Amino acid sequence: MNVIEAHGVRKQYPGTLALKGLTLQFESGKVHALIGKNGSGKSTLVKILSRAIDPTQGKVFLNGEDVSSCTPAEAFRRGIATVYQELSLIQDLSVAENIFMGRLPKKGIRIDWELTYRRAEELIRSMNVEVSPRARIAELSVWQCQIVEILKAMSYHPKVLLLDEPTSSLAVAEARRLFDFIRELTKRDVIVIFISHRLHELWEVADTCTVLRDGELIGTVTMKDASYNDVLRMMFGEVELKVREGRKTVSDEVVLEVKGLTRGKKFHGIDLQLHKGEVLGIAGMLGSGRTELLRAIFGADRFDAGEIRIGGRKIRSPSPRMMKRAGVALAPEDRKKDGLNHIMSVNDNLTLSALERIAPRFLWIDRMRESSLVARQIVDLAIKVSDKNMPVSSLSGGNQQKVVVGKWLNAEPRVMFFDEPSRGIDVHAKQQIFQIIRQQADRGISSIMISSELEELLDVCDRILIMRNGALVGEHRSDELGAEELYLQCMGGTAT
Amino acid sequence: MIAFVVSRGLAARRFMMEVILLGMILVIALVTPHFLSVENLLNILQNISLQGVIAFGMTMVIVAGEIDLSVSSTVAVSGVVTALVTGKLAKAGILPKESAVLVGMAAAIALAAVVGLVNGIARVRFKIPTFIATLAMMNVVYGIAGTLTKGFPITTLPIWFNHLGAGHLFNIIPVPAMILLVVFLLVYGLMTDTTFGRAIYAVGGNEESARLSGINVGLVKVVVMVLVQILAAVGGILVSSQVMSGSHTFGKGYELNVIAAVIIGGTSLNGGSGKPWGTLVGLIFLGVIINAMILLDVSEFIQYVVKGAIILFAVLLNSIQQTRR
Repeated sequence: MNVIEAHGVRKQYPGTLALKGLTLQFESGKVHALIGKNGSGKSTLVKILSRAIDPTQGKVFLNGEDVSSCTPAEAFRRGIATVYQELSLIQDLSVAENIFMGRLPKKGIRIDWELTYRRAEELIRSMNVEVSPRARIAELSVWQCQIVEILKAMSYHPKVLLLDEPTSSLAVAEARRLFDFIRELTKRDVIVIFISHRLHELWEVADTCTVLRDGELIGTVTMKDASYNDVLRMMFGEVELKVREGRKTVSDEVVLEVKGLTRGKKFHGIDLQLHKGEVLGIAGMLGSGRTELLRAIFGADRFDAGEIRIGGRKIRSPSPRMMKRAGVALAPEDRKKDGLNHIMSVNDNLTLSALERIAPRFLWIDRMRESSLVARQIVDLAIKVSDKNMPVSSLSGGNQQKVVVGKWLNAEPRVMFFDEPSRGIDVHAKQQIFQIIRQQADRGISSIMISSELEELLDVCDRILIMRNGALVGEHRSDELGAEELYLQCMGGTAT
Repeated sequence: MIAFVVSRGLAARRFMMEVILLGMILVIALVTPHFLSVENLLNILQNISLQGVIAFGMTMVIVAGEIDLSVSSTVAVSGVVTALVTGKLAKAGILPKESAVLVGMAAAIALAAVVGLVNGIARVRFKIPTFIATLAMMNVVYGIAGTLTKGFPITTLPIWFNHLGAGHLFNIIPVPAMILLVVFLLVYGLMTDTTFGRAIYAVGGNEESARLSGINVGLVKVVVMVLVQILAAVGGILVSSQVMSGSHTFGKGYELNVIAAVIIGGTSLNGGSGKPWGTLVGLIFLGVIINAMILLDVSEFIQYVVKGAIILFAVLLNSIQQTRR
C-alpha cells in the first residue's frame, strides 16, 4: 500500500497565508476528492504535493520517505504524477505516440512502430477502456482525451495520481464514462487524488472527500456517509444554499421568436419563443448543437434557413453588431477567447459593448459617464477588484465572468444569452451569477441559458427546452421534473 | 542572460525607453560637443518629422493588429502627383502654380486614401493578410509613380511650397516639426479619448471578442489603413517640398524606419497594445542615433547595420515581454 502524507504544511505568499499548517494523508486503493472554493488553498496543496512549489514550512512524505526537497522531475520519477486541466496532448499524433512521447521504442535509429502500438494496446486493455492506439487525438472527444492523459500518466506506474479538474470541460454523460475509468484505477496500488468544482459528481467517483477552507483542513468524510448539504456546509461554513424564491408568472409578451432556424448538420427546424422576463434553459449534451444555435441567433455564426424576430421585428442577416442594437447580448462559452480582451483593463472591458453609450458626442469619450457605468457594474455585481485599471486577466474566473455579464448589462439589453455561465468558477461565484440572472429577469430582461450541469438549469430557469442531435425534442416547466429525468431526456433514453 | 536582465528591468520600469534615451543623449553629448547645439537638435527634429508623421499612423495600424508596408511608395507617388497636377493645371492655364499646388496636394491625399481603402478591403473583405497585400501594393504604387514621372523628377512646384518642408516658424522651429506635433496630438487624442481609439485596441487585442462585443471590426481596420496612407501622403508632400520636386525614388526604405520607431516605442507587433507617446520616443531615439553616427562620421553602411540591429533588439525585447506575460 502507498501513502502520501503532508505534515504541518504552511505556504506563505506575499500578503496571504495560503495554507495554515495542514496535516493529512491519502492512501492507495481509493479515490480521494479534494475540494474547496477558490482561494481555499487546494491548488496550493496540489502544487506542493506534486512538488511544483515548495512549502514555507512542513514536509511531504511518500511511503515514509521525505520528498519535500525533490524537484518536480524527481518527484515524478518517485511516482507522483499530475494530470492537469489543460490537455497537453498533440492533436495530430496518435494515441500511442502521445502516450510514449519522448520514449518511443526504437529499432536502431528508427522508431519501432509495431512495438509502440503493441505496448499501447496492452496498456489500454489492462485498463479496461476502449480507445484505438492508432486513433489521432484530434478525432477523439474531450473525455477520451482525458483518458489518454491518464493512460499516459499510468504508463509510468505512478504511486500517486493527481487529477486536476478532469471533468471541467465534460458534459455529464461523458464525465460518467471517465468516472468508470477512474474507479477502475482503484484496483491498482495507486493513490488517486481528484480535484473538482462539481460537487454533484463526487458521489459517483470518490470514496473520501477532503475539504479545505481558507487554508485550513476542515475535515475528511467518507462519501457514502455524507450528504450534499454536509459537504456544502464544510466548504462554505454556515451559508444557506440559495433556493430560488417563488417563481413569478412570466408575461405573455414575446421578445424573441425563432422560426425554422437551420444550419446544416448543426441544428435544424428550431422554433422557440422567449417571453419578457423569462429565463429559458436549453438542456442538451455536448455536441447537441446548443452553443451553435445560440451563436447563430446572436449573429456570430451564419445559418442556412429560418427567421429571427425581436419584439416582432424581423432581423435580416443578423450580426453581433446588429443584434446588440436590437437589444441582444451574449456571454460566450469560452470566456477567455471570446468574452474578454485580456490586454485591456477591467474598466475598458466593462464598456466594450457600450461604446456608443460612453460617447454621447460623436466618438468622444465622456469620462464621467464611463466611470459611472463601470462603477455601477462593479458595485451591482460585486466584482472584486482593487483598481478598475488592473488588467482583467488578474481577476479570478468568477469575477471575470461577472465582467462579461457587466459589460453586456452596460449595453442595456432586453435579451441575454448565457452559454455555460458557471464553467470554471467556484460554487459561491456560481450562485452569485445565477442570482444576477434571476434579478435581471425580475427587471424584465429575458435570458436563455445553456449549461452542462442540468441541476443548474432546474435551479435558475422558468422553462427548459431539451435539445438532442440538433433538434428541440421537448419542453418542460422546470418545476415539473427532476435532474435524473432531464438527463435521461437529453441523452435520448426514456425514464425507467 | 542580457535578455533576462533587460526584461527584468523592463518589467520593473515603465519608462525604461525614456531612461535609455536620456542616457544615450548624455553619452553622445559628451563625445560630440556639437550634438547639443540648438542648430543640431532642430536638425534632428526636422529629420524625424517626415517619417514621424507616418509613424503615428503606423502605430494605429499595428495596434489594430495589421501592418502597412506600402507607405514608402505612397511617399513617392504623393510627391509625384502633387508636382504633376500642379504642372498640368498651370500649363493649361487653369490655375497659377501657387494655387494649383493645393489641388495637387488634395489629389495626392485622395489617391493615398484610395490605396488605403484597397489595402483595407483586401484585408477585411478578402481576408488577405495585410503583410502580403501591402507588400504587393508597395510595388504597384511604386510602378505607378515611376510611370507618371517617366523616370525623371518633376519640378513644376511654386516657391512657397518649399516652406512646408524646409521653412521655419519664427525663423527657428522647422515647419515639419510643427506638423509632426499636430499629428501627434491628433493621433494621441484619437487613440486615448475616443471610442474609435478604444475599438482599435479592442480589435487588435482580441478580434473575436471585439466582434462579439458588437464592434464593427471591418470598419476599424479599413479606417486605420486609410489613415496611415493619408499620413504617408502628408509625409510625401513634405519630402517633395524639401527637395522641390516629385520623384518615384523618394521614400525608399521609409516603411522599415517607421515600423522600427513604432516597435522601439513599445508597441506590440501582436496588436492590442502601444501608445503614440512611445512612438514619439522611438522616433527621437532613432533620430538621435542616426544623427550621432553622422556627426561621428560613421560610414553609411555601418549605419545600416546599427539600424537593423536596433530593430532586431526592439523586437526581441517585445517578444520577451510577451512571453513573460
